[in-house]
Amino acid sequence: MNPTQPTQFWTEADSSSSCDVLVIGSGAGGAPTAALLAEAGFDVIVVEEGKWVEQGSVAPFSLEQMDQQYRSGGVTVALGLPSIAYTEGRCAGGGTEVNSGLYRRPPGEVIERWRDRWQINELDPDSLLSIATEVEQAIHVTPLPGPASKPSELLRRGAESLGWQFDESPRWMKYPNNDVRQGQRQSMTRTYLPRAAQSGARILTNCRVNKLHMKNTSATSAEVTLGTGKTARISFKYVFVCGGAIQTPAILQRSGLHKNIGNSLAVHPTVKLAARFSEAINIPDDVPVHQVKEFAPDLSFGGSASHAGLMALALLDQWSQFGSAIEQWRNMAIYYAAITSVGRGRVISVPGLKDPIVTYRLTRRDRELLRSGLSRLSLLMLEAGATEVFPSFRDAPIVRGRNDLTQLQNSFNAMKASVMSVHLCSTVAMGENRALCGADSFGKIHDTHNVYVNDASLLPDAPGVNPQASVMAIAIRNIRHFISHEKRNV
Amino acid sequence: MQRAPSLHFLVHPTALSILRSDLPKVSADVAEQAANFTVRRIRTLPSHMRIGVTMIAAAVRLIGGISPEQFVVRISHTHLPLISEYFRLIRSLSYAFIWETWPDTRHDGSTSDGSHL
Repeated sequence: MNPTQPTQFWTEADSSSSCDVLVIGSGAGGAPTAALLAEAGFDVIVVEEGKWVEQGSVAPFSLEQMDQQYRSGGVTVALGLPSIAYTEGRCAGGGTEVNSGLYRRPPGEVIERWRDRWQINELDPDSLLSIATEVEQAIHVTPLPGPASKPSELLRRGAESLGWQFDESPRWMKYPNNDVRQGQRQSMTRTYLPRAAQSGARILTNCRVNKLHMKNTSATSAEVTLGTGKTARISFKYVFVCGGAIQTPAILQRSGLHKNIGNSLAVHPTVKLAARFSEAINIPDDVPVHQVKEFAPDLSFGGSASHAGLMALALLDQWSQFGSAIEQWRNMAIYYAAITSVGRGRVISVPGLKDPIVTYRLTRRDRELLRSGLSRLSLLMLEAGATEVFPSFRDAPIVRGRNDLTQLQNSFNAMKASVMSVHLCSTVAMGENRALCGADSFGKIHDTHNVYVNDASLLPDAPGVNPQASVMAIAIRNIRHFISHEKRNV
Repeated sequence: MQRAPSLHFLVHPTALSILRSDLPKVSADVAEQAANFTVRRIRTLPSHMRIGVTMIAAAVRLIGGISPEQFVVRISHTHLPLISEYFRLIRSLSYAFIWETWPDTRHDGSTSDGSHL
């Protein structure tokens, strides 16, 4: 597949364009949507607010990457007590260009729960997992061809020592010459977007959708702002909003669609720590592939990117006590405890403000899980051989042995912690349960004729695993249903 | 065009004060670069966050204008919601910039080889 950037079709002279289907967003939902539609013969325009950034042109997990490929430079927060920092990709390919690349199928019991509680028609676990198999081939999901990195092996070692379940998460990567350090991410700009372009889809980057123009229950066009600041209009027969769990409800709300839109944000909140070992272990530009699943789905452990800048952030909350450890950053790595939260948040578009306000409320159970998660993660690190563990919360103790875990438990308070999340979903839940769902069983907004959502917003709640596989499998399921029903109308 | 210089006026001196206190041996040039980076990033915050930060920054700047620098440093360690998050934002951006750019910076802001210079 040729990963070359598609040619921009829009010129400064254009003030309007039209298509069969407008796809808003080019990430894990939008890219497969566009590719399958274009391959089925639909005239497709894809609009992406960010720019096209060639892989390898910026260092992974760097501040420059934050500038180029994340919304607001990666500084976005869901307000609450505590507030939760989150990140959104804003570039061609969306979050698939910048995330960890770890792949997890949606668990069968989660699919059944979604089907039953949200009343999703024709959501069959076997069919969805069959689509997941297709996705795995398309984006080349594979285990490492060689030994894992030291920070990853330490997670494994700690889990083995405690007798806890763990496994290696495969990634959507190609490894030339089977070299684990040469992994090439098979993100949307390498896979589904070139497929879409080859089948005639037109891809427009640096193009923000302000709102959809509605006429009764149908959308007729989108008002967009180009990178130059010029406003234009794109007319369509159908629109798929795939801007991710924050931007999708924001666009719909700005377009006057509000029923069950943006009021059920779900995330996987995480707390982190830095662990110091007696030898150099740090890998600045990659993340561990092992994850510890002993307490899943409530609680999972994994590793984060850990270059010196991120290490300083991990030590920041207790700098006067922890700060000197930064001088040993090459002997350190950052690990996280992620929980499956039962709290919920909101996405609220406010007239006059360009960006939506995002809120999230952790429940008491969530806070307790974060506490026990950080304590268990500290134990895991000690068993892995860490000489010192630095939990990321204000007033945290340095953990040097099991005896320190009680003090950690007693001093932890979620309000003092740096809570963050990268998995955002569920803001336009799909299903026939009208009390809960903003979209029907295949992503069409209830009570509209041609407005669809096809991204992480549709997942009824947080799946308890990295959600990209769930997002892609459901997006492909929905778009095939759309094609089979609507092709004759275009 | 008016907004950019005003945010610089409100945030930059506070960032410098915090860095000089937290990292007493940081060079003036590094502190200046980190404070400039912090202001640039705050300019790209989501609109509602930028409004909130501007309001808090204005209050802090007002206090800073009539109080000794040490007073601003002292309140930068407050645990009050929102206000503490403003100072945490400044520290996060500045520290991330310094240690990503010069990974061998010591915890007091100095370097063993003078690589900041």
